[in-house]
Amino acid sequence: MSQVREPEFDRAVAMVLRIGAFSCFFVMLAGLIDGLFIAGHISRDIERLGVLLMLATPVVRVIVACFLFFREKDYKYGWISLGLLVILTLGGVFGIGEH
Amino acid sequence: MVTLLLVVLGFFSGLLGALTGIGGGVLLTPILALHFGIPIRQAIGTSLVAVITTSAASSSVHLQRHTTDIRLGMTLELATSFGAAITAYLVGYFNRNALEGLFAGFLLYSAITIVARHGKLKLEDKSSPGPNGEFAIPPYEPKRYPLGLGASLVAGALSGLLGIGGGPIKVPVMYLFMDVPLMVATATSNFMVGVTAAASAMVYYRRGDILVEIAAPLAVGVFMGSLLGARMAPRIHTRIVMYLLVAIMLYLSGHLAVHLLKGWLA
Repeated sequence: MSQVREPEFDRAVAMVLRIGAFSCFFVMLAGLIDGLFIAGHISRDIERLGVLLMLATPVVRVIVACFLFFREKDYKYGWISLGLLVILTLGGVFGIGEH
Repeated sequence: MVTLLLVVLGFFSGLLGALTGIGGGVLLTPILALHFGIPIRQAIGTSLVAVITTSAASSSVHLQRHTTDIRLGMTLELATSFGAAITAYLVGYFNRNALEGLFAGFLLYSAITIVARHGKLKLEDKSSPGPNGEFAIPPYEPKRYPLGLGASLVAGALSGLLGIGGGPIKVPVMYLFMDVPLMVATATSNFMVGVTAAASAMVYYRRGDILVEIAAPLAVGVFMGSLLGARMAPRIHTRIVMYLLVAIMLYLSGHLAVHLLKGWLA
């Protein structure tokens, strides 16, 4: 099965998720500390950055998986990942201007 | 003060979520709406951020145990993210009562699947020992892709509509109909949640339905809770945790129902 055959693949994808989650965590923590202890309005912007990092993490994960599939010449799943990217992009574009 | 409360709330929902394999969103949306007085649409959008955090934190742990089927997950993600983006776009056409009613029903359904799955887990206990965190997964080949994709579309649609992960739909379908081992089904469902929730969260974000000042403390708590929970999960016996989770879900479901009834009577 795929998950036994390619520990490298799992590790790469896990790394993306870990970096995303950890960086988001520290950015948001910084925003919280800033908001709790330091006067000023910068905390909202820091927290916003954290939210955007979190929204971007799954997208980066799909991009990395897509790249790895094509490098392994596993075209079927490479195209599936590309299709996923298209759906994610459309989701982002459709929201524009909605209020 | 509220900020600290949100961190604690996030921590416990992340912990419970990771221990029982159910996303934290199913608890967060109703708690935000009922106890923090946040309008349901903002509660959904905000909880989606916490849901992505749970997925990223806990699936990085699952991936290292090699229990996630990335190919199966990404194939089904085509359907979940499509469904999620569509309903996130359409959520404006649902009124508050419909969303709350749907949520109350989903909580009830989720509570039932948790109890049902616990019976199954006990049967599999002997075949899945994990002294050093390694698991022997029997060979399998996922079957009935059309059915899996259909169920994923529904799970994704509900995810975009309610701000949840949709695990209680995907896990039973993968396990019962696609012949995927339960442990792989759980890890793969968890893995899929991140992309699914991101597809709808982007729509909510663009519309201004993600409250950054609420999402940040929640995500900080959820991150710590779900990392801890994911590490504890294979070792801990989750009977008490499960009853606790089911009790909270039944309470929230009842609370939503009462809230709806009051709205009708008033």
